Amino acid sequence: MDKKYCAYICSGCGIGDALDVDGLVSMVGSEMSMDGKKHSFLCGEEGRKMIAADVEGGVNTVVIGACSQRVMTKEFNFGPQTITVRANLREQVVWAEMKPEEGKEPHQEAKAFLNETAADYMRMACTRAQKTELPEPYKLENMSKTIMVMGGGIAGLTAAKEAAACGYQVILVEKENQLGGKAVNWRKSFASQYPWTGLEDNPVAAMLAEVQGKANIQIKTATEVARIAGAPGAFRVSFKNAGSASEWDAPVKVGVDEQDLITKGEKPDPNAGLQPYTAVDANAVIVGSVVLATGWKPANVDQYEHLGHGRIAKVVTNNEFEKIAKEGKVPAKVAFIQSPGGKDNDDDFPYCNSVTSMVALKQAQYVCEDNADGQAYILYQHMRTPGHMELFYKSVQQNDGVFMTKAAVTKVEESGDKVKVIAEDTLLGEELVLEVDMVVLAAGMEPMTLHEHSINLAYRQGPAFLDLDLFDGYADSHFICFPYETRRTGIYTCGGVRKAETMEETIDDATGAALKAIQCLESTERGVAVHPRSGDTTYPDFFFQRCTQCKRCTEECPFGALDDDERGTPLPNPTRCRRCGTCMGACPERIVGFKDYNIDLIGSMIKSIEVPEDDEERLRIVVFVCENDAYPALDMSGMRRNGLSHMVRFVPVRCLGSVNMAWIRDALSAGMDGAMLLGCTYGDNYQCHFVKGSEIASKRMENIGDTLSTLGLESERCATRQVAITDFDKIPAIINEFVDEIVGMGPNPFKGF
Amino acid sequence: MNVQPDLEFIRQLKTAGGDTLKKCFQCATCSVACPLSTDKKPFPRKEMIWASWGLKDKLVTDPDVFLCHQCGDCTEKCPRGAKPGETLGAIRAYAYQQFAWPQGLAKLTTSAKNLPVLIGLPAVVILIMWLFSALIGVSGLHIPNHEQFAEHGYQHFFGSWNFYWYGKNIAFIALIMGVSALIAIISSWMGVTRMWKAMAADAKINATYRPSVFQFISRFLWPSIWETLQHKRFKECKTNSDRVSGHLPLVLAFIGLFLATCWSLIKNDILGLIWPSLHGPLWFWDPIKLIANVAAIAMLYGIWVLWQNRRKMEAEGRASNTFYDWFLIWEVAAVGITGLLAELLRWGGMPGLGYVVYYVHLISVMMLFLYMPYTKFAHIVYRTLAMCFERYRNSSFVQ
Repeated sequence: MDKKYCAYICSGCGIGDALDVDGLVSMVGSEMSMDGKKHSFLCGEEGRKMIAADVEGGVNTVVIGACSQRVMTKEFNFGPQTITVRANLREQVVWAEMKPEEGKEPHQEAKAFLNETAADYMRMACTRAQKTELPEPYKLENMSKTIMVMGGGIAGLTAAKEAAACGYQVILVEKENQLGGKAVNWRKSFASQYPWTGLEDNPVAAMLAEVQGKANIQIKTATEVARIAGAPGAFRVSFKNAGSASEWDAPVKVGVDEQDLITKGEKPDPNAGLQPYTAVDANAVIVGSVVLATGWKPANVDQYEHLGHGRIAKVVTNNEFEKIAKEGKVPAKVAFIQSPGGKDNDDDFPYCNSVTSMVALKQAQYVCEDNADGQAYILYQHMRTPGHMELFYKSVQQNDGVFMTKAAVTKVEESGDKVKVIAEDTLLGEELVLEVDMVVLAAGMEPMTLHEHSINLAYRQGPAFLDLDLFDGYADSHFICFPYETRRTGIYTCGGVRKAETMEETIDDATGAALKAIQCLESTERGVAVHPRSGDTTYPDFFFQRCTQCKRCTEECPFGALDDDERGTPLPNPTRCRRCGTCMGACPERIVGFKDYNIDLIGSMIKSIEVPEDDEERLRIVVFVCENDAYPALDMSGMRRNGLSHMVRFVPVRCLGSVNMAWIRDALSAGMDGAMLLGCTYGDNYQCHFVKGSEIASKRMENIGDTLSTLGLESERCATRQVAITDFDKIPAIINEFVDEIVGMGPNPFKGF
Repeated sequence: MNVQPDLEFIRQLKTAGGDTLKKCFQCATCSVACPLSTDKKPFPRKEMIWASWGLKDKLVTDPDVFLCHQCGDCTEKCPRGAKPGETLGAIRAYAYQQFAWPQGLAKLTTSAKNLPVLIGLPAVVILIMWLFSALIGVSGLHIPNHEQFAEHGYQHFFGSWNFYWYGKNIAFIALIMGVSALIAIISSWMGVTRMWKAMAADAKINATYRPSVFQFISRFLWPSIWETLQHKRFKECKTNSDRVSGHLPLVLAFIGLFLATCWSLIKNDILGLIWPSLHGPLWFWDPIKLIANVAAIAMLYGIWVLWQNRRKMEAEGRASNTFYDWFLIWEVAAVGITGLLAELLRWGGMPGLGYVVYYVHLISVMMLFLYMPYTKFAHIVYRTLAMCFERYRNSSFVQ
């Protein structure tokens, strides 16, 4: 497309008072060869009319020098055929001006510093405008809008029902011979509505009838998913009979070194007899997206020897007790042990969440319902009844035959035909000895993903979700921010596989997951990204002629979007891609890029920054700022008028993972004095929106630091810092201290070369 | 501790005002509010879980339960509406029943259903005595004429003055009230002895020396009574502090009326032997009579205050409506109203109505005496003894 540019600079919001706007307009004209206009209220109707008239007159690339790119997005949207680039003159220049210390005069060149900074942002924005191209969305030629739901329990039934209700075709896969999952065996379920007190009839039968009656739900019982190949919109699912082995079972990941050993015959092939992950199963069923609802299994509690499960017949788990209750009458005196106890241990059984508390409350009622003088003892360390279930707890508590106390159970032993429970640290103030007919242990709900791959993907990165140990084996999700999401695009989890939860929570959860699966289909059809860059029409382009098959992008992609082709060249699956650009940051050949975000584009922006020589008051430090949390934090810091050093230039990036080290080299070789990456927290409690970006970036920066040292440059000139979106008040210290360090080191000795 | 919850106990507490006890979730707000609570004895938090676990043996031997004034601070502060104060009241009611003798009589006093019997019993006894006095005497079961009534008041209720039947009236009064009081005293004695032993056993007191009667009175009993008279601890109550303004006049009224009764007895039936002119109702300006009248008004005032408080607390949901609480209020009110009314009718010279009211008055007094050890009135002995026990437990006899 032939570009016709125009730059607009707003003098409102204090920009005009602080900056020489006319100077900036003329700089844009002289240096960037662009028409420049100024307006006192650019986002107002008059200002926008001015721009719209220009667009009408042929301008198709607009540079806005005004407020942050995060605000006024609607006001500065001039249609899909117009490229708009923003220069943040307000939050990050004018509002972030360094104020003189109290009682001191401002720096005599303060005004000049501010104008230089603004000029650099205009240069960068204009450069970006020159380099950006209009993206075209990636669309699949044939796409399926069928949703596959794996697991026919409460979660799966709900997801299938909800997706079908929205008019989508659903395939419901269940490995057992009938649908219903574990909930089929429950005698009663918790209260699900006001007044949140009594027990309700098990809803599974009704749900089953509803699902079985839907024409657009295809039910496959006694069936397992051998593998899922392909990508959202076109997943290829190979089914097999439950319990059988198939050549289409998903192969495990085999690294390059490992493959060498296998080829040499020094190691057995773990995938012997299996089709390679790239093979195409002609019988595969094509689906668009997947809801994983394979649920949980009751935890084994035999390891707690003092509790006697497996040794004493009358010690059972909550799951076993529910079956007894379903089949008939429960004993009259029952102790419910909520925590493994022993001394100095107030942990609950693992994987119990709040569910087992409420299960005990429910089962205690069975004891009183079935026996006139029923006595149910609940010995807990924690009683967790979130939300409305507090009312359920209160109602059970009112029951004369239910006795509760916090207690550390130290021993369970047989005593005639009874079982004796001994507990310490009780609320009754002394050791407790209870003689009961039965003991029920609150065993947890272990997600299926703790024991098996469940999802069985035929991906280069392997069949399972990655790093589930961060979530104790629960199917991964960035729990707080992005429920249902996994690191495999188009696959959404719900129910027991995601979290130990009650039926009611599961129903909510599964509804959410079904909606996410639908959202994914619709986004894929439009060729745009799903969460977190929802609606992004760009996708990474690979210039494969220069690819060296180093596989860094394939390995580092947090979402496993890249497979290998036969020759080992990365094989992109654009519908799996979340557009973070980690592949672009990884590529040493610099052959990956987006239409509006690539190595050359950012590199040119950096090079457009004016770097004065021999001026210690005008050092230049580039800071790559993650757009997800760090950039908003920076804007908020500006809104609070926190002063930032005039030597710093911020460059927004999609994710720190997308930062290619070429840019650092570009910056330092252009004579800039330091570089910093400002992004999300990583590690076990990571906040990175793309899971691995900030972690990968910090490793890359360590490496480049080493490279700098070999060149005789201080490795401290390169740094990474982690911030959360709420850390806006820490931003000035982070930035200004780094600047002070660089000032301490002195200017880049390669300046001017 | 081998726990054997008594479900029946829980049900009884629930019907006797502790219907909310199971709501307790052991947050200990009550213990923070309660001046009786100590670091090692989180009162009444501890009692609340004992109650909800049906551990009656621990509760009835717990002195703290009897020391509670039911000031209502805990109930007021309780975030769950478990009403610890009410629950403790119910526990006390249950404990009085536990320690009571004879059990049959005690059981009778626990329910409003038995009110016909509870009232009927003294009514019949007094009526029989009245009839009986007519059979053996000159002028029992009669309505006096105005002159007789003005001269003798109610002193010829069970018969006229007759030297051979000296003290005929007093003999009947003594027979009725004395026996009632005796039953109450014996029952109370047995009850508090049981309680004391149980408390001592529960507190694992194994004292070498027992205090003598004198020591017991001077070191434990008298200080406890003195403390009660001052209402020292009662005044620490915040939420229901207005109950002191009802309870204190009531206590003083009882003392005043007791003194007046004693003086009347001495004047009429001892000194009257020597100076027959001393017979007859007390002169209005007789200092003792003045005290008695002031006491009667104090009694009515006190019970009116307590009645109102109770109604208010119930209306505000701070207390439960129980027969246990109301029975005593009704009893005292009945005694006060019929007593004063009888006196007014005497002054008004209305013998017929006066005698009927006096009859009712006798019934209410007998009820007060006879049912004392089983009703809320029992706190007069159990509480006092619990206060003694508290002093005893901290004394050199034990320590």
